[in-house]
Amino acid sequence: MAGTLNMTDRRRLAMLLTPAYLWLLIAVFLPLAAMLFFSFLTKMPQDGPDWAITLDNYSAFLTNPTYGTLLIKSLQLGMIVSVICVIIGYPCALVLAKSIKGRAREALFLMVILPFWSNSLVRIFSWAIVLRGNGVLELTLNAVLPFDLNLNLMFTTHAVVIGLVHSYLPYVILTSYLALQAIDDDLIDAARSMGASKLTILRRLLLPLSLPGLLAGVVLVFVPVVGSFMEPRILGGRMGTYYGTLIEDQFVAVYNWPLGAALSFILLAVVLVILAVASPVLKGART
Amino acid sequence: MTGGLLALVGRIWLVAILIFLYAPILVMALMSFNASPFYQLPFEFTWRWYQDLSGNAQIATAAIRSVLIAWVTTLIATALGTAASIALFRYDFRGKRVLQILLFPPIAIPWLITGTAMLTFFFAIGIGRGTPAVIIGHVALALPYVIVTVTARLASFDITLEEAARAMGANTWTVLTRVTLPWISPGIVAGALFAFAVSFDQFVVSYFLSEPGDTTLPVLIYTAIRKGFTPEINAVSTIIITISMAIMFIAARYSKIGGNN
Amino acid sequence: MSQVEVSHVTKRFGTMTALDDVTINFTDGGFFALLGPSGSGKTTLLRTIAGFYFPESGTIRIGDIAVQKVPVEKRDIGMMFQNYALFPNMSVADNVGFGLRVRKVSRNEEARRVAEALELVQLGAFAARRPQQLSGGQRQRVALARAIVTKPKVLLLDEPLSALDKTLRVDMQIELKRIQREIGITTIFVTHDQEEALTLADQIGILKAGRIVQVGAPRDVYDHPVDAFTAGFLGDANWVPDSAMSGLTLPREPDGFRFATRPEMLTISQDRPAPGTNSLPGKLKQRIFAGTMATCIVDVNGESWKLTARDRDIPQIAANDDVWISWVPRDTMAVPR
Repeated sequence: MAGTLNMTDRRRLAMLLTPAYLWLLIAVFLPLAAMLFFSFLTKMPQDGPDWAITLDNYSAFLTNPTYGTLLIKSLQLGMIVSVICVIIGYPCALVLAKSIKGRAREALFLMVILPFWSNSLVRIFSWAIVLRGNGVLELTLNAVLPFDLNLNLMFTTHAVVIGLVHSYLPYVILTSYLALQAIDDDLIDAARSMGASKLTILRRLLLPLSLPGLLAGVVLVFVPVVGSFMEPRILGGRMGTYYGTLIEDQFVAVYNWPLGAALSFILLAVVLVILAVASPVLKGART
Repeated sequence: MTGGLLALVGRIWLVAILIFLYAPILVMALMSFNASPFYQLPFEFTWRWYQDLSGNAQIATAAIRSVLIAWVTTLIATALGTAASIALFRYDFRGKRVLQILLFPPIAIPWLITGTAMLTFFFAIGIGRGTPAVIIGHVALALPYVIVTVTARLASFDITLEEAARAMGANTWTVLTRVTLPWISPGIVAGALFAFAVSFDQFVVSYFLSEPGDTTLPVLIYTAIRKGFTPEINAVSTIIITISMAIMFIAARYSKIGGNN
Repeated sequence: MSQVEVSHVTKRFGTMTALDDVTINFTDGGFFALLGPSGSGKTTLLRTIAGFYFPESGTIRIGDIAVQKVPVEKRDIGMMFQNYALFPNMSVADNVGFGLRVRKVSRNEEARRVAEALELVQLGAFAARRPQQLSGGQRQRVALARAIVTKPKVLLLDEPLSALDKTLRVDMQIELKRIQREIGITTIFVTHDQEEALTLADQIGILKAGRIVQVGAPRDVYDHPVDAFTAGFLGDANWVPDSAMSGLTLPREPDGFRFATRPEMLTISQDRPAPGTNSLPGKLKQRIFAGTMATCIVDVNGESWKLTARDRDIPQIAANDDVWISWVPRDTMAVPR
């Protein structure tokens, strides 16, 4: 408590903390606050003195059905990608945490999460090379399969989903793995001694106990996917118009920054609602 | 035994995921050594695209800028982050919890939102776009990673070591430089590597904050991709991903991620 | 309730032989303790009987069925773990009912039997609580109720009391013994605490380096250890020096044997004791007061002997004084060399 710190300690504390948090204030929190303000303006102050306060940017969201449709499209994308990540990633975490032991586990775990810290743009580009018509995937499949297949996944929603799953899958594996690893093996042994099958152990023990970790992973996938724009642009082509690309356009193509700010803030509100809903469960994740 | 079968299926699943994660990257890397400019097979080995890169002034400038920005970001974020970690670890004070929670928004809010917010704010206060703006943004994104990594290392630090040093007559400065910092240095190294990677791989925030035509490497690649793919992009991408994976590999070894702690 | 027969069981982990040709019978309804130092294989033996490990060779029978290849979930056993292993996501009642649910017992039957088991461990009022809300001793009881509610053929306990503090542990020992008698289940109990083994069990099996060294009733094992290791492991043993054997009344010819006594069998005095008792001269080194009891360390012919008695029964003797140590001849243990 502050009361227990003497003057010297307080000064030291301030010296150590101020630079970092001042930086975060200037680079993150003030910009967010400023953007909220700009989202209520007719035009950016630097573009001329004749700016005014308005609600138009928000009413545009309500009157122009495209915006709402795109937001829903992005939310759906987030849901699809999250579900696929869970279906693929949770069993993988289960195998890593409860079936593989020792050094092999450590090495495999590192291999699974390594790509997730590497350059996301490059990884999306690599999928473009694989998925394009006459690309490696098509050539490989045609070499293996007895019939010829015209598989041009590039510039489809499937391509966007594949690329995003590739980008964010390690999140779900990471959080689920940490939650599963924390479960004492004695609990599993105890359940087995009472006659429980592997399925029962999964359903009644492992799944409930690792649920906070799994949900943390889902949130960590869902939130950035809803705000993604680079992945749909590269892999989705004309199919790749989402809420994220809409915001990007306002800032780099249309130059309607106040509208972009309003759209960004609506996204932020959605994200915050999701985080708030998930937070009681997520608190359990960090035991 | 069904147990054996299940374990086998699990291992196959794991291998399939590893293939899914690495295959496209390997394909992309292979194609950077393929002679055909249109990615046509059969594969014919060439160094040509890498040689072309070295003659490409635009890519070279962007690469130098990226590395420079990453260096500056690493220095600032590591220094500020380490200081904050020590404060958060050492002292108990009102509002500590709030300060810890404030580390999450830069990580949890989609970069699209943070990036556009920085763009509007920096224009409003006159910083505008360009390399300084990019560095300000990158440091903010890297700070939480440094703080989390260093704090994790500090958590294993035995505070009685400091007390013992003080009991032997060491002053605060000596305790800090001879006891505390040496102990947490692996955490600082890992945090610095994270910071470098966050900056070097950062696309979204750089994209909004860099001056058109005066960009970082990832932004340059993004603009190039949208004009059409060339094996040159494969070559530069291969270099980038090799560097960033190597950095993260070392960082993971330092912070013992995946260990049984 | 069934008897458990382990015959010629060998279990290896890599190159390490954890169980080396182990043969031991656990009779129906008995309370057995497997006792040994860490690494002796006692827990491995328990887990092999449970079915967590399959032996490389040998057979295990529970009742009339050979189970050495049957996995744990099909063996119909009850087990208690060192840290209780209660499921933190379930209430006490759900923890206890878990095995019944797995066996597809009807909900009514489940509720009845859970209540009955909780009543048996005197936790009837705690059914709705979470394990985290219970004290160590209460968790212990829940774990016991959970292990016996399915009426398993055998109850296996892996150092279940080691996490409790001393007073609570003694209470739980009494409680465990009562419940075991009440339901008459064959019980196998692993411990490294010889006092606990001697208190609880009808039969004790002592393990060393993956082998069974001795099996017998507590008093037999305590009084007639088969080797020096067992003699020293069950309690302190004072070894009669070879040079001092001549004047003593010994239970048998000394060829191939050594002789020892337990500290509590000894009497200390300054005067030479009357003939008819075994006595040896020595020098009092130290007297350690520990409440009701006291321990004396006496130097006997260069061997350090330990004597325990009620403090008030030990005469006031100064350190380094010459003393006599004596004991009744039939309290002499003959231990094969």
